[in-house]
Amino acid sequence: MDDAKGGASYAVHISPEDVQRFCEFLYRRTGLSFTEGKRYFIDRRLEDRIAATGSSSFQAYFSLLRADADHEIEHLINSFTVNETYFYREEHQLRCMTSSLLDVIASHKEPGGTVRIWSVPCSTGEEPYSIALWLMENWPQVDSYNIEIVGSDIDTRALKAAAEGIYGDRALMRLSPDLIDRYFRFVAEGRHQIDDGLRNSIEFTRVNLIDSRDMALHRDFDLIFCRNVLIYFDDASRRQAAENLYGCLRPGGYICLGHSESMSRISPLFRVARFPDAIVYQRPETDHG
Amino acid sequence: MPLVRGSKSPASAAQPAPLRAALDSPDAESRWIAARALSGDADAVPALAAALDREPVPRVREAIMTALMRVGNPASVEAMLPFLRSQDAGVRAAAIEALQAMPGAVAPFMAPLLSDGDADVRLLATELTRNMDASEATRLLCDLIEREQHPNVCAAAVDVLTEVGTPQALPALEKCAARFAATPFLPFAISVAIARISGAEG
Amino acid sequence: MADIGMPKARVLVVDDSSLVRLYYRSALEQAGFVVEQAINGIEAMERVLSESFDLVIVDVNMPRMDGFTFLRSLRSSATDVAMLPTLMISTEAGLEDVAEARRAGANFYLVKPVAQTELVRHVSVLTGAAM
Repeated sequence: MDDAKGGASYAVHISPEDVQRFCEFLYRRTGLSFTEGKRYFIDRRLEDRIAATGSSSFQAYFSLLRADADHEIEHLINSFTVNETYFYREEHQLRCMTSSLLDVIASHKEPGGTVRIWSVPCSTGEEPYSIALWLMENWPQVDSYNIEIVGSDIDTRALKAAAEGIYGDRALMRLSPDLIDRYFRFVAEGRHQIDDGLRNSIEFTRVNLIDSRDMALHRDFDLIFCRNVLIYFDDASRRQAAENLYGCLRPGGYICLGHSESMSRISPLFRVARFPDAIVYQRPETDHG
Repeated sequence: MPLVRGSKSPASAAQPAPLRAALDSPDAESRWIAARALSGDADAVPALAAALDREPVPRVREAIMTALMRVGNPASVEAMLPFLRSQDAGVRAAAIEALQAMPGAVAPFMAPLLSDGDADVRLLATELTRNMDASEATRLLCDLIEREQHPNVCAAAVDVLTEVGTPQALPALEKCAARFAATPFLPFAISVAIARISGAEG
Repeated sequence: MADIGMPKARVLVVDDSSLVRLYYRSALEQAGFVVEQAINGIEAMERVLSESFDLVIVDVNMPRMDGFTFLRSLRSSATDVAMLPTLMISTEAGLEDVAEARRAGANFYLVKPVAQTELVRHVSVLTGAAM
């Protein structure tokens, strides 16, 4: 992606105080922090972003960043993190699901009851299919409950691709050849389609996280994966989305965020819940006055 | 196969009672639903403000504040300001958070807030300048620290100036450091703010 | 002066002002403590649930989750963290506020602005590092 605008031929001077200002802003806004040893990493990213935005000085860039002009926060965070989607990404959360969360969830259900899991945004489907695969492979009680998995996104083209369920080798890089063999079929060289049974078992819907009406159609979830999207929203949108997600959860239901995200930068509505494999957040069972 | 396709959730079964009446419901969930349904409704501001005043449940309070935030007009800001004076730190925190998310609507109120008779209100209000344009924030905060008697209020202002302060702030900061030279923390804080602002021009 | 070989006490500083955190941290690190930070009660809960601390210093006025709410959350936790010593710091000096801090479960209460020497002295006592 080349978004450089009239790149300067000289490097913009960035003082140590500028870097301090920048790091404190970033920490306050996102929770991301860097040890002394990682400072060179920040300097490089900052230089890149200053050049990419055509900023004539650090101050000009910092004003732009604070105002989140042209989604600069998103561009900046993307420059720090690799935002690739693939199967079994952030596996520790999937492990948390089967090692800890489902035990709690299932304890409140009758045998044969329904467990509802939501992947939003689901992008091109890797996440909801991963959830399904992981459950089939790792949850001993998977046959004792009806499991409804919903995958939602704002992007209808992504949803279409998700429903098709065709993936390249890179998306499957974390899956064993055995898993691929059992759940995917060969479509063409380097292209694999996920098993029809799995494709048909996921409900894909279009949703906008900040639209309360959209969101109200999605209810009674036991577990929501909402990873790597809230961090990019502005203050008002983060607040609105969090409130909407709260309404979509059953009391006692859980929500998992992305690995560099924290409810401390998003909303006070959820309880912090620590499990061996992950920190997740819970809609409280009851209200306290 | 344990994985089943769920049917799309039906729209809420019961017709909700008139929404503003539902803000009064003894049931927290009904009040929450009503607040969310009234979100952004400018006509509902008085009803939302009244509901906010008597709401004991934090998540319903949050939803009412979100509803007011979505309106984003002067009346909705005015409805939230009294909560900056609350004895409950949680209510104050919630009010500041909601106001922070509506910088445009809050702007005309900044000067009065920063000269409020209550030091706690002045202190909380400094946080709202963080989202403003740097020159405007600097101007307001320098005005504040030039006349402010409470070191904690100055400290809050200096914290924001450390992030957004322009070189225009340097004289006021130096004077403030001199005035409060005998207090702990503030001289330290001002020296950091001065270093950040000067270093930025380095 | 800490004994050579004694493990350093770990302190979590919770305040939304980066200047306050810097002020406390520099004094505490100089005195031999290991210091981590958080900007509000939610991040503080995440930290205490993930790492072990000997003391949490928590400000009252923080956006999104204030000090009192954090304290109540901490004290109602089902794990060991419920017993974590806490030092609450506030802008208020009234008897009612001190009483409320005690009710919320604070072990000690200081009023801002807190001098570095005063802070170190109290932290030393509360972590048992005092000689």
